[in-house]
Amino acid sequence: MAITRVIPVLLLRNQGLVKSVKFKAPKYVGDPINAVRIFNDKEVDELVFLDITASTEGKPVPLALLQDIATECFMPLCYGGGIRSLKDIQQIIQVGVEKIALNTIAHEQPQLIQEAAAVYGSSSVVVSMDVKKNLFGKWQVWTKGGTVNTKKDPVAWAKEVEALGAGELMVQSIDKDGTMSGYDLELIRRVAQAVEVPVIACSGAGTVEDLARPIKEANASAVAAGSLFVFHGKHRAVLIQYPGQQVLRQLFS
Amino acid sequence: MKSQREYQVCTRCVMDTSDQEITFDADGVCNHCTEYFELAKVLIPDPEEARRRYEAMMNMVIDSGKGKEYDCVVGLSGGVDSSYVAYLAKEAGLRALTVHFDNGWNSELAVKNIENIVNKTGFDYQTNVVDWEEFKDLQIAFLKASVANAETPTDHAFLAAIYKLCKQYNIKYNLNGSNFATEGILPDSWGYNSKDVKHLKAIHKQFGNIKLKTYPLLGFRREFYYTYFKGVKNLRPLNLVGYKKMEAMEVLKREFGWKYYGGKHYESTFTKFFQAYILPTKFGYDKRRAHLSSLICNNEITREEAVKELSEPLYQPNELAEDREYVCKKLGLSDQEFEQIMDTPGKSHTAYPNSEERLKRIYRIYYKLRGRDSNALKK
Amino acid sequence: MIVIIDYGVGNLGSIRNMLKKIGHSSEISSDPEVIKNAEKLILPGVGAFDAGMSKLNETGLVALLHQKVMEEKTPTLGICLGMQLMTKGSEEGQEAGLGWVDAQCVRFRFDEGKKLKVPHMGWNYVHAQKEHALFDGMFEAPRFYFVHSFHLQCNNAQDVFLTANYGYDFTASFVVDNVMGVQFHPEKSHKFGMQILKNFATYVAS
Repeated sequence: MAITRVIPVLLLRNQGLVKSVKFKAPKYVGDPINAVRIFNDKEVDELVFLDITASTEGKPVPLALLQDIATECFMPLCYGGGIRSLKDIQQIIQVGVEKIALNTIAHEQPQLIQEAAAVYGSSSVVVSMDVKKNLFGKWQVWTKGGTVNTKKDPVAWAKEVEALGAGELMVQSIDKDGTMSGYDLELIRRVAQAVEVPVIACSGAGTVEDLARPIKEANASAVAAGSLFVFHGKHRAVLIQYPGQQVLRQLFS
Repeated sequence: MKSQREYQVCTRCVMDTSDQEITFDADGVCNHCTEYFELAKVLIPDPEEARRRYEAMMNMVIDSGKGKEYDCVVGLSGGVDSSYVAYLAKEAGLRALTVHFDNGWNSELAVKNIENIVNKTGFDYQTNVVDWEEFKDLQIAFLKASVANAETPTDHAFLAAIYKLCKQYNIKYNLNGSNFATEGILPDSWGYNSKDVKHLKAIHKQFGNIKLKTYPLLGFRREFYYTYFKGVKNLRPLNLVGYKKMEAMEVLKREFGWKYYGGKHYESTFTKFFQAYILPTKFGYDKRRAHLSSLICNNEITREEAVKELSEPLYQPNELAEDREYVCKKLGLSDQEFEQIMDTPGKSHTAYPNSEERLKRIYRIYYKLRGRDSNALKK
Repeated sequence: MIVIIDYGVGNLGSIRNMLKKIGHSSEISSDPEVIKNAEKLILPGVGAFDAGMSKLNETGLVALLHQKVMEEKTPTLGICLGMQLMTKGSEEGQEAGLGWVDAQCVRFRFDEGKKLKVPHMGWNYVHAQKEHALFDGMFEAPRFYFVHSFHLQCNNAQDVFLTANYGYDFTASFVVDNVMGVQFHPEKSHKFGMQILKNFATYVAS
């Protein structure tokens, strides 16, 4: 059996690392290159970098920074944010990134999923979705950094992108982001049960124990977290942490 | 700044003529260890008196915190001195607020050490993260200025962060890890007061490009405000506990699972590179000499052991290449730019506008007012 | 000089980066002159079998590689698709493989009711079936990063070096004389991968 992946998700904004709460008020967390180096020394399974302004502000993919990051990273790296074309994807993969995450563009140009999967393999193509509950408690998929409501149902959307060739799905809950109050297990379960491809649960992990729940209770194949690995204590002070192998093995046994 | 004198090394400690101002007596003993022992008489009380003063200090801190959330601030770097202060604070039952200044150069070991300490002590924790673009610009400015005190950007901001917290939480005492035992020997020319904001601003103006917006500046006036009006005091508990670095490391390993990163201040990748490569290459001295000399005088190691350690290279070639590449990458320096920095001869901090004389005068007056011998405290 | 064969497929930069990190220089090249003089070869690769094999054939290097590997016995390491290309062929495609190892590639097949997600993607533990220098000084509980839908099936049990388990035990690495292959990505398996590459870089045929 493959080992359950536990993935730190780091948000980029103008060359700096930030962390948001419910996709708002990003707080500066530090320099990404040193953060990657530290995570590398901590032997984390995989890293996901999402540039949160590239999409909303129409900025280009930060290739130079990505290259610096990729050369510090000796584990799989996934990048998302502002990818608009196959050429973007080619350039990103060329600097040493394993996977790309498509979010907004997947809605605007769904054929890009197919094209990317054909050239680079499904396992390099992650489709990431940001989900928020509306006033009536119904889940809807949002894009552009949580600013535009597509009104789509996450389960239907998941099936659609799976058919187009997405190799993995990353599900982020806007409501749970940065709150450290636990994952939205129901959301993750609904999506994971509807598709065959691996689902990465994201948003909301508050304790190390939380990490096990999407796997054990919601059919997720991997878990991701941001605040949990980057903040410590009641003052939410920046301190990069990652559970040791012993702890992880026990968690998922 | 290569030495023109004939080479000579002290017969008691290991300071040598790489400190251009060193003097030797007829027995070949240098001024540094001689001064060390003289100052130790003033600064390090005998064990009984030390114990008494230590308890008084801890009680004073506890009293000051009554009715408040915290009674002191403890700055953490992940290094041995500050980690040991955290240990002492826990033992004494203090309610400390720990703070770390994240300048973007932390090694994973340092971060892990900090994590273990805050978890095991249960102290609340804050970090002060400076905007990397601003900080990077300031660091490069100091490198281009070619001064030996390239750590000023970090040290200055660290102190400013501490004062800010003290004000925010109405804390009177900052427990810091400065200690005479392992730091007593340090030639004046090998460092400079990081509080001199005039100096910092001058270097930034000449070599920096980005405006300092979030970088915390601590001018003399502001420090005066904090210390005189707000009554914030810097306490040095390590001088009252017969501090021995080796013993301290054993305690930390046992209590916190603390790990050593090899070399004083090597918990920061930049500091390691600066002290182990840039300083010796540009300025011709190896700071280990000063640290090891202090340890000799503190009876922690023998002169033979110090000589042996000094014969070990500061860097293995593979490691040096790796760190050099990383530092250049982080700072965004091309090979050419870096070579230019390395080729520029080292300069004294006096080559740039500074408030040294003014500060010396002010400290003299300040200490006179507080009834302490300013000479003893010039270090 | 270790030469990483550039046939337009695979993340060559990452392999070179890791080699550099552990103190070994390498060159990425498709130049026959460079490959001819290589002391060691690395054949990387990611993606589909036929696409990889076609691209490799297009470079015109195959004959030279046969000579270097099979006749001159140059130590050669195949990574992921690179390793699969060294076999006789794959269920995934039509093209013939390089045939440097007596094996073929098959799709992951699970019994009904025990189906696992394909591709096998993520970290997994490996177990050594025989001793080999590639595993010198390996850390405890070695694990590596895998991402593949097809795996090797060796026809000679003694060629199998490492196995991993994904629903069932499969060949994660083979070694036959100077020809070595790993299904996982050492360049993405931090300290574990570094040890493999370090051992390959210092490998001397006994």
